Amino acid sequence: MLLELQNVTRLYGTVIGVNDITLSLATGAHGLLGPNGAGKTTLLNLITGQLSPTIGSVRVLGMNSRTNPDLMKRFGYLPSSEGMYADVSAIEWVTYLTRIQGFNRPDAKRLALQALERVELTEHMHRNISTYSRGMRQRTRLAQAIAHEPELLILDEPFSGLDPVARHSMTELLDGWIKEGRSLIIASHVLHEIESLTKSFLLLGNGRLLASGSTNDMNELLADIPSEIRIRVNAPRDLAAELLNAGIVDSVRVSKDGELHITTTASLDVGRFLVKSAAGDRYVLSEVHATDDSMQSVFNSLMKIHRGAV
Amino acid sequence: MSPLIGILQRIPAVVGFEWRRALTVSRMTWMVALMAFPPGLLMLVRMAEQNEPPVEVVAILVFILSPCVVCILGVFLWATPALSSELEGRSWVYLAVRPYGPIAVLLGKYIVAVSWTIPVGLVSSVLAVLVFMSQDTMKLLVAECGLVVLSCMAYSALFLLIGVVAPKKSMVAGIVYTIVFEVAFALIPAAVNMLTVQYRLRCLLVRWMGFDNNLVKDNPVILAYFGNESAMWHVGVLFGMTAFYLIAAAVVLRYREFTSSLETES
Repeated sequence: MLLELQNVTRLYGTVIGVNDITLSLATGAHGLLGPNGAGKTTLLNLITGQLSPTIGSVRVLGMNSRTNPDLMKRFGYLPSSEGMYADVSAIEWVTYLTRIQGFNRPDAKRLALQALERVELTEHMHRNISTYSRGMRQRTRLAQAIAHEPELLILDEPFSGLDPVARHSMTELLDGWIKEGRSLIIASHVLHEIESLTKSFLLLGNGRLLASGSTNDMNELLADIPSEIRIRVNAPRDLAAELLNAGIVDSVRVSKDGELHITTTASLDVGRFLVKSAAGDRYVLSEVHATDDSMQSVFNSLMKIHRGAV
Repeated sequence: MSPLIGILQRIPAVVGFEWRRALTVSRMTWMVALMAFPPGLLMLVRMAEQNEPPVEVVAILVFILSPCVVCILGVFLWATPALSSELEGRSWVYLAVRPYGPIAVLLGKYIVAVSWTIPVGLVSSVLAVLVFMSQDTMKLLVAECGLVVLSCMAYSALFLLIGVVAPKKSMVAGIVYTIVFEVAFALIPAAVNMLTVQYRLRCLLVRWMGFDNNLVKDNPVILAYFGNESAMWHVGVLFGMTAFYLIAAAVVLRYREFTSSLETES
């Protein structure tokens, strides 16, 4: 088993970091999703043994996680914060950390070179880190996490601040990592960043595990959740009345600037209705915008389910 | 692998890495300035004073300037921020997730602090002693050099512990502790000064230079200042204090939780 959490709660004084999480994950790739402040980093700190749970137990690869040297040999960690020394080169830094991992100097150097080659940084590895671009620094950080060839790679917001090219390169690299049969736990607040890497997700919100499962599980879970659609139309009140009469919306509201806001659990029906309306002469649709395409709204919906409000 | 071997295996990596990072122009300039400070000051004293001062005065002046001021300042700037600099720079997390990483880094930085400051203290002591050449020069050189080594070892461990106990305000805590305990309490002729490193170093100076032959040994104030224990006893106590500070720092580091953000430190 890759990860076993049993009723894990972590408090920072009176603030709850994670709240009563119980889960088991088999080896493989898993995405940890949640908006900022959801408790992802706290959970990763618990998994990497930097924190101990206030209540409950955390076992990673069958071992107790808190400052466990045997476990630390088996995972690599890329934290969300940069925290690199600016006055050293990538090869010096990665070699140094690999030596602290427990390798002798020649082996650490060899592994560091391999890792930097893998992240395509060999050409620039002798330059000081202070001269690197954001993408190069991120690749250097990834190199220190994979240099000792761990069986589990734990990444906290690895795509943060990367341009599209660097994102693609990072995705390819991680995809290769997974195809080698190694495990991966990747935390992000953006679903599309990680859905190409894994089909297994954990959704965190306000420190709680809101949902877990595959993409299909998530879609099923979210199927009955009303989504919000904003419509700019020449006669918003008339259209609102027709939508209500058709019985395909849960609520309608016209904002001060004349924009029609609807919530519906039948988005497809609404879409068909709007296409039919636009085809006629009565309505001129200038804008249709689904506002619920962000992760934040998904989490808001899940939080409503969690509180029993939906 | 035993934890001790695991820690010892990793220390050379930390020492080598930190030493390479320390070889900067600013660090070297600071090193030279520290080395030159005691002999420079004593040179000015020598120029102002026509008569040869007694060896006791020279010994105390060199003691205050080199094993005390230079060594304390040197190790203070290295050892006190050993942890806080990593926490503030958010580089601690990379070390904390390595097997035996935190303690190896702590002890590695201790060795760097000591090995950087001892040469500074030795050079400054030798130059300072040579400003006042006398018949006891060799004896004074040996005594002051021994005190430099012991001072660096003990104070470095002490400041490391302070830095681990109070990482958010390590420099302020270090300064306050030094002033309150190592300066004020060390001068109080009471049992409390025996808890200070300063007392042990002072007693050793008196023993090694043979000044205690001239002291009134049954005077309680003199006894409280210089004790009547042997030099070996004081050396042993200093080694014991150093070991205690280091072990305490390692224990705090092992059991306290330092996340990458100081705000969430428990």
